[in-house]
Amino acid sequence: MTSRRARSALVSGLALIMGTTLLLTGCASGSGAGDTSTTGEPVEGGTLALSISAEPGCLDAHSISATQHQLLGRIIYDNLVTLDADGNIAPYLAESWEISDDGKTYTFHLQEGVTFSDGSPWNAEVLGQNLEHMRDPATKSPLAAAYIAPYVDGTVVDEYTFEAHLAYAYTPFLYGLAQSWLAMTSGTAITESPETLCQNPIGSGPFVVEDYQVGQSISYVKREGYNWGPEWLDYDGEAHLDGIEITVVPEAVIRYETLVSGQYDITENLPPQNAEAIQANDQFVYENLVRAGSPNVLHFNLSRAPFDDIRVREAFVAAVDREAVTDSVGFNTFNVKDNYLSSETPYYDESTEGVLTYDPDRANDLLDEAGWATRDSDGYRTKDGKRLTVVVPTVESATPSALLVQLQGEVKKVGIELQVNQYPLAQLTEIRYAGDYDGIAGVWHTNTPDALFIRYNSSEITGERIGQNAAYLSDPELDELLTATRQAPDGDEAREAYSLVQHRLLELVPGLPLYENHSQWAYSKSALKGITTDTSHPVPVFTTAWLEQ
Amino acid sequence: MTILRRISTRLLLGVFVLWGAATLTFLALYITPGDTALIILGGADARPSAEALAQVRADYLLDQPFLVQYLHYFTHLLQGDLGESYRLRMPVTDAIGQQVGPTAVLAGTAAVLALVLTVAIAVLTAQRTPWLRSIISGIEVVLAATPSFIIGFGLLIVFSFTLRLVPAGGGDGLVPLILPAFTLALSLVGSLSQVLRNELEDVLEQPFILTARARGMRDTPVRIIHALRHAVLPTITMSGFVVATLLGGSVIVETLFSRQGVGGLMLSSVYNKDLPVVMGIVLISAAVYVVVNLVVDILYTLVDPRVVTS
Repeated sequence: MTSRRARSALVSGLALIMGTTLLLTGCASGSGAGDTSTTGEPVEGGTLALSISAEPGCLDAHSISATQHQLLGRIIYDNLVTLDADGNIAPYLAESWEISDDGKTYTFHLQEGVTFSDGSPWNAEVLGQNLEHMRDPATKSPLAAAYIAPYVDGTVVDEYTFEAHLAYAYTPFLYGLAQSWLAMTSGTAITESPETLCQNPIGSGPFVVEDYQVGQSISYVKREGYNWGPEWLDYDGEAHLDGIEITVVPEAVIRYETLVSGQYDITENLPPQNAEAIQANDQFVYENLVRAGSPNVLHFNLSRAPFDDIRVREAFVAAVDREAVTDSVGFNTFNVKDNYLSSETPYYDESTEGVLTYDPDRANDLLDEAGWATRDSDGYRTKDGKRLTVVVPTVESATPSALLVQLQGEVKKVGIELQVNQYPLAQLTEIRYAGDYDGIAGVWHTNTPDALFIRYNSSEITGERIGQNAAYLSDPELDELLTATRQAPDGDEAREAYSLVQHRLLELVPGLPLYENHSQWAYSKSALKGITTDTSHPVPVFTTAWLEQ
Repeated sequence: MTILRRISTRLLLGVFVLWGAATLTFLALYITPGDTALIILGGADARPSAEALAQVRADYLLDQPFLVQYLHYFTHLLQGDLGESYRLRMPVTDAIGQQVGPTAVLAGTAAVLALVLTVAIAVLTAQRTPWLRSIISGIEVVLAATPSFIIGFGLLIVFSFTLRLVPAGGGDGLVPLILPAFTLALSLVGSLSQVLRNELEDVLEQPFILTARARGMRDTPVRIIHALRHAVLPTITMSGFVVATLLGGSVIVETLFSRQGVGGLMLSSVYNKDLPVVMGIVLISAAVYVVVNLVVDILYTLVDPRVVTS
């Protein structure tokens, strides 16, 4: 069939061209969140041209989990709360709130005078409708629902006061509500036409969707009268830009070339191999920021051999020269990791650095000790006649993952065979949730250290429901520590609780930490000013952006 | 009467082709490994609730046996209902309708370009000096053998990145259409002009050409007025190939040049196992095929009336 032939030609062709560029990369510049690069007086007007690598096919925040929504969500939506420049929870559509002593009741006092782009008001009832919409099975939420799982019900105390009741103390609640996927949608739209929200989302944010061509482009116009942005923006008023025109440019090379040629003012997801060139070009600003959450880790499957043996896990980690691999894969733009939480995450504990080290001799000793002492004719270790093979599935492409190929070479030196199997995305997803692998690489971005719970609590092992504990890590001691983190109120108590978890993980070694999860983008220095970033997601925010004309 | 019977037979066969293509596609997507519900709920990095998973399976009959799903789909299809996209959550007709225009413009422009180039090259090079012919046919072989993404990238590097004459992508207007249309056209020209020239050279050997020349007609009019009409039949026969290249090629060209269109929609839908959209596009492609072949059939009789009687 033609379509099939065309598809395989395309897949191999594009993959060949792009090579390793699909891997997220970055470089070591970077500005802090909330940082503005404003110089001079903002100019009003103009339409920003932005190229992005993909779009979700649906713009309803609650219905998607796409990475691009981190950026897209900030354009049309507001959130209940936000993270300020220091990463602390700060007011947004909620002016203030109280948390009960048992951590189970949240009383929100909402901003007055906020309206959605369909003219409907923001109030306590709408907040309740949003929480219901997130968890309504009909919304088919892949992400938002999980963040508010402990939410039981809510009470509209008065027009602008809402009381949320949780099943148990859950400190990450507010962090979740600051993320793009949990943004606030018009209550009228939710009740009257939920089926249109994907194509015609209604938020209260600084811009409004004017035209959405699926897979191709999104046009926005500024929301007249908008003046309820978060405090960290340090700006009160409607956007300077008249509008934003987003074009989907899937090819990494073309995103770079069209930025340099001036066709676009800014591009999201700049290809790593062009990082050096764009940095050397003084016409552009290159941003390379680290996403909070779970960094890039090759997780081991602890539920089966060989990684059920802690010695094999430690040996695998000690066998890999992470720094060399990271530099090569990321074109010297990635920050290498040797622990399990992104350094940009609240309560990150620096004292966990330097523990997991590169030490091939130790790797060999550990494997000998674990009984993998003999070698076969190919030089791989064996035990009882069985070869020490580790199977890692990955997504199908014409050129195998540069990362996995590098790791293959690294662990071969100590006699471990790393077998890389490529599958189409749908099949990989199934394998992932069936747990049919020895190792699997990936990142998991979130703005809270609850990433550790999501990644390593035994209740997050896929079973009855889907979970992100890809390591199948089930350690009662760790579970207890993780439960304590959720109950600990923000502050020193939480810091202490999260520190214990991070140290415990170094003893359990649930995976091979590789590098940070980078968000990198670039824009024209002369054309675009006033870009800010957010601490929940290190992506550009355009509320204060303006174009030099 | 014969021609009417011919058309009605063809149309009946066309319906059969549509049903066959749809059934095969349905089956292919069904047996492709991978849980559709998991893909709909965000793939490998999501955290859908058990309730959401159950809802998706129930809504799209994913927990039902093949026959139930198949019959459900075709019952609705017969009522003209193509269903709703799993991923875009909009009716398939809207999803395709949004994309069909740009693809039609691209494919149409490419087809016209290809036709003009093919005729020009064939007429100009048939029976010329051997060295010129060898160079041209060498280029044709290379073009025919080169995947369109390489042709596209070559054009991009030269005309967009180096000379900066045209933008590398985007949607509106004629200028962004130039490179993608040429990319598609060039992958056709390589094959078409070889066929046309060979035929043209055969025809130019015919006695009636000699007669025409003997009457004092000049070379170019002989080629265009007399020879071309006779030589064009095998090229028309290749219309099926042309349509296939245009439809298949649009997947690649649209992605490469960041263009809107059915090709891009097809690609993302196949990746995401978005069955209703894939089915819709296959049905439309098959319908285009059927119609083109029918038109070609009629064209035959116009170009060479002997076809009907034989």
